[in-house]
Amino acid sequence: MRPLLQVEHLSGGYGRREVVHDVSLTVAAGELCALLGLNGCGKTTLIKAVCGLLPAVRGACLVDGQDTTRLNEKKRAALLSYIPQRLSIITGRSVLDVVLMGFNPRLGLLESPGERHRQEAVAALEKLGLAHRAGADFATLSEGQKQLVILARAMVQNAPVMLMDEPDSALDFVNRGMVLGKVRQLLREQGRAGLISLHDPNFAMRFCDRLLLMKDGAVCGQVVLAKATPQEVEEALSALYGPVRILRHPGGLVMVEA
Amino acid sequence: MERQNTEKRRLYLAFAITASVLVLAAAVSVCVGKYPISPGEILAILTGGEVEGNTGKVFYTLRLSRTAMAALSGMGLGLAGSVYQSVFKNPLASPDIVGISSGANLGAAVAIAAVGSAVTSVAVGAFLGGLVAVVLVVLVVQATGSPSTSTYVLSGIIISSVAQAVIMLLKYFADSESQLAAMEYWTMGSLAAVTASKVLSVLPFWLVGFVGLLLLRRQIQLLSLSEEECRALGVRLRQVRWTVLGLSTLLVSSVICVTGLISFAGLIAPHIAALMIRRRDGYAMVLSALVGGAVLLIADILARSLHSAELPISILTTLIGVPILVWFMYARKERRV
Repeated sequence: MRPLLQVEHLSGGYGRREVVHDVSLTVAAGELCALLGLNGCGKTTLIKAVCGLLPAVRGACLVDGQDTTRLNEKKRAALLSYIPQRLSIITGRSVLDVVLMGFNPRLGLLESPGERHRQEAVAALEKLGLAHRAGADFATLSEGQKQLVILARAMVQNAPVMLMDEPDSALDFVNRGMVLGKVRQLLREQGRAGLISLHDPNFAMRFCDRLLLMKDGAVCGQVVLAKATPQEVEEALSALYGPVRILRHPGGLVMVEA
Repeated sequence: MERQNTEKRRLYLAFAITASVLVLAAAVSVCVGKYPISPGEILAILTGGEVEGNTGKVFYTLRLSRTAMAALSGMGLGLAGSVYQSVFKNPLASPDIVGISSGANLGAAVAIAAVGSAVTSVAVGAFLGGLVAVVLVVLVVQATGSPSTSTYVLSGIIISSVAQAVIMLLKYFADSESQLAAMEYWTMGSLAAVTASKVLSVLPFWLVGFVGLLLLRRQIQLLSLSEEECRALGVRLRQVRWTVLGLSTLLVSSVICVTGLISFAGLIAPHIAALMIRRRDGYAMVLSALVGGAVLLIADILARSLHSAELPISILTTLIGVPILVWFMYARKERRV
C-alpha cells in the first residue's frame, strides 16, 4: 500500500531536552497504526512532533510528498488532523459549532462556514450516530459523545492523515471500544492514514492493523497483526511490558500477565 | 428540532430586548441633563424647525456627542471584554489583563503632571500610554520565548505594576490642589468632557478595532481552545493572537482616552450576554457589545441626573452591572433564563 504518512529521522523535544530520537515510520492509506509504550516513553511527544506542535524538530515528516515540519499551521492542518489526549473545555458552543471548527483550514481567514459546510458537518455527525444532538450544548454530552464529536471535527478537517493521542483515556470500556471502532471504520472507508497512541495493548490489538513499540524515545520494533503469530506478538510485547502472555480467543488476541 | 426553535427564539428575543434598551436609553440620554431637552424639541431640531435659544447648540455639540460616546464606549468595552475572556480562556479576563488600563492611566497622569489637565493632552497621553503598555507586554512575552496565555497574563501584571509604581510616584510629587485631583478623577471615568471633535477623532480607531474584531470572530472563538488544539485546527496562533490583541488595544484605548477608566463594564457585559443566550460564540460577542452599550448609556444618564454635580461613571457602571449580573446568576440556578 502507498504510504500516506512518512516520518523520516524525526527528533524533537522541549527546549534543550530531546525526548524523541531519530524516529522513522510510515503509515499507509486506510491503515490504523498504534503507538504503544510505557508512560514517558515519548508517544505523546512523537505525535506532537509530527503535528508540528513542538518548537524544534529535526528530520522530516512527509504527507503526500510535502514536508509538514516546514509548513505554517494552516497549511499543515490541511494535511494532518489531531485529536488531543485532553480536550479543551468548551462551553456555550453547540455540537454543530464544534464540528464546524474543523473547517478552519479550508476557509479563508474571515470567511464563515456556509450552508454546504453545515450539511457536511451534520453528515459527519450522522455517520457517528450523533446527528440528533447537533443543536445540543457540547458541554452537556458524555465523554464518549464528546470524543465522537471531536472525531467528526477531525473528519470534516478532511486531512489525509489523522493523529490521535490516547483519545480513549477518559472513556469507559464500552465507549472505548465504540470510539476506536468508529475511528477504524472511518479510516478504512475514507482511505486516511491513522497514527494513534494507546495505553491498552488489548485495544490496540483489537482495533489496529499494526503496533509500533516505543521505548526511550525511539521506535524499537513493530508487529503487523495480520501476519504475526501469537508467539511473535508475545515476544515483542514482553520486550515492552515485561513478561506477558498472549492468548488467542475468537475475537482476536489478548494480553495477560505471565 | 423543538429545542433548536426555542434556542432561536431566545436568541432573537435577547437581541431584540437589548437593542431596544440600547435605543431607548440613547433616546433618554439626549433628553436629560442640566439643560433638559424635550422629545418635541429634538424632533423640531432634527426636522429643521424652530427652537428657542441654545437648545439646538446643546443638542448637537453636547448631548448628541455625549450619547454617541457613551454608546461607543460601552459597545467597545463589551466587545473587547468578550474577546479577552475567549482569548485568555478566563472568565475574569478584561482588557486590563494586558496592561492597557494601567498604561493609559500612567499616560494620563504624565500628561496632567507635565502639561496640565487640558483634556486633549490627557487623551493623547492616555491613548499612547495604553499602546505603549501593550507593546511592552508583548516585548516581555517575546523575551521569555514562551508565548502561552499565562505568559501574557504574567507580563501584563508586571507592566501594570510598574505603571502603578510610576503613577504613585507622580501622585506623591503632584500638586494636591490641581494635579492630584485630576489624576484621581480620571481613574473614575466620566463622559462630562466629551465633545463632538473628540468623538470624531477617536472614531476611526474605534471603527478599525470594532469591525476588525467582529470580522475575526471565528478565529477568536478558536483561540478559546487549548493552544495545541487551536494550532492543529490551522489557526496561525502568533499572527492571529497579535492581530486580535492589537485591534482590541486600539478599541479600548480609543474609548478610555476620552472617558478615563470605566470599571466593570467590560467584565460583566460578556457574562450577561452569555447568560442571556446560554452561548459563548460569535453571537455572544455581538450581544456583549450591545449589553455594554446599554449599561453605559444608563450609567451615564444616572451620572448626570442623580446629583446636582456629575458623578463619576465607574460608580454607576458597577452599581448597575452588579445587580443585573447577580439576577442572571440567580435565574440560571432557577433555570428561568
